[in-house]
Amino acid sequence: MGMTVFVLLFVFFILLILSVPISFSIGIATLVTMLVSMDLTPAVTTIAQRMVGGLDSFALLAIPFFVLSGLIMGKGGIAKRLIECAMALIGALPGGLALVNVVSCMLFGAISGSAVAATSAIGSFMLPEMKKKGYDPNFSAAVTAAAATTGMLIPPSNILIIYAIASGGVSIAALFMAGYLPGILVGLSLMVVCMIYAKRQGYPTEDRLPLRLVAQKCLAAVPSLFLIFLVIGGIIGGIFTATEAGAIAVFYSMFLSMGVYREVKMSEFPSLLLKSAETTAIVLLLIGASTAMSWLLSFENIPQTFSDFLLALSDNPIIILLLINLVLIVVGAFLDMTPAVLIFTPIFLPVAMQLGMSPLQFGIMMVLNLSIGLCSPPVGAVLFVTCAIAKTKLENIIKPLIPLYFAMFVVLMLVTFVPWVSEAFPRWLGL
Amino acid sequence: MNSVIKYLDKTLAAALMLVMASILLCVSWQVISRYMLKDPSSVTEELARFLLIWVGMLGAVYAYRTNSHLGLNLVLDKMSPVYKRMTQVLIQLLVIVFSALVLVFGGYELVDLTLELKQISAALSINMGIVYAVLPISGILLIIYSLVNLSNLFSGKVLETTTQESV
Repeated sequence: MGMTVFVLLFVFFILLILSVPISFSIGIATLVTMLVSMDLTPAVTTIAQRMVGGLDSFALLAIPFFVLSGLIMGKGGIAKRLIECAMALIGALPGGLALVNVVSCMLFGAISGSAVAATSAIGSFMLPEMKKKGYDPNFSAAVTAAAATTGMLIPPSNILIIYAIASGGVSIAALFMAGYLPGILVGLSLMVVCMIYAKRQGYPTEDRLPLRLVAQKCLAAVPSLFLIFLVIGGIIGGIFTATEAGAIAVFYSMFLSMGVYREVKMSEFPSLLLKSAETTAIVLLLIGASTAMSWLLSFENIPQTFSDFLLALSDNPIIILLLINLVLIVVGAFLDMTPAVLIFTPIFLPVAMQLGMSPLQFGIMMVLNLSIGLCSPPVGAVLFVTCAIAKTKLENIIKPLIPLYFAMFVVLMLVTFVPWVSEAFPRWLGL
Repeated sequence: MNSVIKYLDKTLAAALMLVMASILLCVSWQVISRYMLKDPSSVTEELARFLLIWVGMLGAVYAYRTNSHLGLNLVLDKMSPVYKRMTQVLIQLLVIVFSALVLVFGGYELVDLTLELKQISAALSINMGIVYAVLPISGILLIIYSLVNLSNLFSGKVLETTTQESV
């Protein structure tokens, strides 16, 4: 087993550093490792078979749908309405615009399921606005990047679907419910940091709007927010599966953006279909290649061996959990979320379960960990997009990010050591 | 030669749009048949699953063509143009080897085996070999696009890398 792990890791890292696409790096590393102990024909046939086998799943169908509805929503004037609603409700608090930024990112990230989409949709509106009112653009960019990642935990969320598949059968409905409280807690903790920072800097607050206007702005956001209700309500109520909910989300977002708001033309639909096929395929190829790799891992009994090794390191479960968190944060800073979840779930989940953690809690912990990584340098699409919009450099937003990391880290510790945070909602709903 | 590649690009894009639209229709029909007709269709469920495999593999080719597969481009972005081009040539060669061995050869073996064993799908009663045929097809397309990339690299161009996130 030592030899296998060494070959697999060595080839994978070399390929990764050479900038070979991650899905191909996984596939090639798996192939090379298998060829050490196997003939060519059975090795390549097994990989081919595992790859298509990994893609053959009804639950995976939810991903192209949520990607597509996210793309439609991103174009459909929904961001603007969510921002105005948040502005009317919390703009008058200290650091009002920063808070509005966080809440809009949470809502839009939840609806669109993409942190990058949330960053560009909310950031391109909020960042210039915050600059106009005297906010430090580096701070504003940092807040946007951190807040955009909350959509990964707040459902509907593609990454939770991918985790459900990687973990081998955790209920998607239960995961969706489990993500709510931690996602909202991250948002709230970021808001606390924003308020303290804004008070110190003496940033202005927004004017309080008359009640009639507040109600009007909130009403205008209702059709957009109804999507969350429709999708989540339908899944939790057992009316439809996550996949069917995805298809319904596509039709509802089409109805809203094309029919009601009229900001997307029917003629744009084919290009959105193509874009969603591309994004989905990037994820699917990763899933296919990782399925082949996790077959190899379990064939060589690696998860069990690794788990024994890790558990032998310390008798203290707290130390082991902290160690897992540390590894995941570092991984998240380099790897994108999808490959990270696909590669590390089969390795770490058995350890966490032996320590008494439920697959539900572990999934939320992992996604939160990787969310911190998503807005950490050196790699992170969210960071690059916010920097581009805020017209600032990556190195300038690190300092304002530090208190935000701290806030996220506090919630991460809560999620790691208090099972209730992730499990209360699903249990309460009987999932 | 360029016009052949352009034709291939267009066909691939059109096929992906068509398959995505079909998946959407299949799953919608699934919901409708279950709630309105009280007779859930198992055919559309299976069809949607098989079409997703095709979207996954053909879309992976398309994403390769647009150079949007996720990669750790830290080192590549820091390289001088000459080294960058050499590394990109190496990447193309690796993708060609993987595609030829696993997707074309392994995929062909898998298709051959399934056809021979007459492995039939439950609802549609089609041979699974037809579904798996997407492996060698996408493998051949990946090799073609890698060769296109190679010819671009040898004529002095550097491939653009993109920053994006998966989901």
